[in-house]
Amino acid sequence: MRRLSLVAGSALLLVFAFFAACSSKDDGIPPLPTGTNANSDGAAPPPAATATVSGKIAFEGEVPKPEQIKTSQDPMCKNPIFSEETVVKDGGLANVIIYVSKGDVVGKNYAPPSTPVLIDQHDCHYLPHALVVQVNQELQIKNSDDTLHNIHAFPDPSSGNAPFNQGQPVKDMVANHKFDHEEILLPVKCDVHKWMGAFIAVLTHPFGTVSGDGGKYELKLPAGKYELTAIHEKYGKQTAMVEVKDGDKAMLDFKFKSTDTKSGN
Amino acid sequence: MSGNVRVAESLHEEGENIGLHRFALFTACCTAFLIFVGGLVTSTQSGLSVPDWPTTYGWNMYTFPFSKWVGGIFYEHSHRLVASFVGFLTVILAAWACLTERRRWVRNLAVAALGTVIAQGVLGGLTVLFLLPTAISMAHACLAQTFFCLIISIALFTSPQWKQGLPRVSYTDHSLTSIRLPILCAMTTGAIYIQLLLGALMRHTDSGLAIKDFPLSFGRIIPHFTSSHVAIHFSHRVGALMVASMIVWTFYRVRNEYRDYSLLRRPATLLFSLLWVQLLLGASTVWSQKSVLITTAHVATGALVLGTSVLLTLRAYGMISKRVAAWR
Repeated sequence: MRRLSLVAGSALLLVFAFFAACSSKDDGIPPLPTGTNANSDGAAPPPAATATVSGKIAFEGEVPKPEQIKTSQDPMCKNPIFSEETVVKDGGLANVIIYVSKGDVVGKNYAPPSTPVLIDQHDCHYLPHALVVQVNQELQIKNSDDTLHNIHAFPDPSSGNAPFNQGQPVKDMVANHKFDHEEILLPVKCDVHKWMGAFIAVLTHPFGTVSGDGGKYELKLPAGKYELTAIHEKYGKQTAMVEVKDGDKAMLDFKFKSTDTKSGN
Repeated sequence: MSGNVRVAESLHEEGENIGLHRFALFTACCTAFLIFVGGLVTSTQSGLSVPDWPTTYGWNMYTFPFSKWVGGIFYEHSHRLVASFVGFLTVILAAWACLTERRRWVRNLAVAALGTVIAQGVLGGLTVLFLLPTAISMAHACLAQTFFCLIISIALFTSPQWKQGLPRVSYTDHSLTSIRLPILCAMTTGAIYIQLLLGALMRHTDSGLAIKDFPLSFGRIIPHFTSSHVAIHFSHRVGALMVASMIVWTFYRVRNEYRDYSLLRRPATLLFSLLWVQLLLGASTVWSQKSVLITTAHVATGALVLGTSVLLTLRAYGMISKRVAAWR
């Protein structure tokens, strides 16, 4: 009899689990972890960016043919999608993150911008594919698709940033997240649609940007001498020095080769 | 009159117990399928495609619309549904055993199976909520095998053969150095279980292709251990060699010494056959660069190897050990 009670109790536990599974749709979604040990209180605003450094991220060598991704496993992903690992146009490489890696602005505690950075799940890929966000700046995650996505971040365990996995089952759903620590090239991916991936550079300062169409970029900087780093998810990184004065418009190009690899840098 | 009642009761009990045995067999088959589906989740890296638990993207998992079973969700959600089905089967099995089974230890075993399946469900949920930590994922994988063994044991202990008494085999010491068959079978089962642990460790640390060639390892017999992944992968290969030796040894012992006992010969032959299938699947997993179906079949066949070995071990104890033979 006692054993039967045990079985009945276990069955009740399963029934309880069933009803727990019946909770309302919104309640079931775990909230995103948010930065709690951010030290933005009392942080100084960054110095005014009065100079401009612009240029092109050149790509040398054989350009891999854009590979069309098979999306048949989700009928809602109707539009053709191509691999975004190497996006080259007019000899310029897109999705390269360019940021100040050495200089007066590095290691300071600057207040994050109040405007959020948006990453959108659109047509079953991330827009943009590479982005820059400041520590404690709001990252807005949106699902513009009529299908479910999850955004799963893979921070380096040594970075101090918390990993997260956020489901967004409904179109136009928006979630927010803040990163607590600097981390350059933090990958995010969707486990539902395996081809979906993006890269985030979390900086302690606002002096970073991403190369766009044709590999062109523009970076606003305060006067000073800096080491700029250009980093790509596949081709690794390049560095260069630049010195600018107030109002300067400097040109600085970077060159990546098809034979470069991330591990080789 | 009372004699007729007794006979009727006896027949009634027998009928119910055959039903219980068949139900346990059915649960074992469903569990093997569940292990295959669970293997698919890991092989397709879909474990986190449903980020919440016990809900599915906020829906009750039983009402999650089929139209939304896309991409990795298909594998993970199917796994959850099959798992909950096996959970309910186990509830019925335990209740059935408690109500109709006269042997207390069988009732206890059924209750233990229920506890195991509940723990397994909780581990499955935790591994999702904590983003697949290796320790929890491994525990989930190993508890699945333990549960499978428990269900196979219940199916065996409720079988008419076991209850009526397995044929007794007198133990003849063929060699002074040879160990008794039940002990050898138990050692083989233990070795298989450890090998499954190593396999789970390899899968959940993403070490499956840490060594990309086979049968050599980076062109050598023993590779340079340049990372923990290589060490884990290589230990699984060494484990396979040891398990293969144990199974071959067990098979030949049964074939040479217990050839007339089909209750031992059949599972031993099945175990021996499954070994080669499993070795081929393991090699093919490397050669195919972890093809989803081959890798998953390797996981599922591993469970069948363990289950068959458990069956052989229990029968060997039941037929050869006087103490176990008394468990009826």
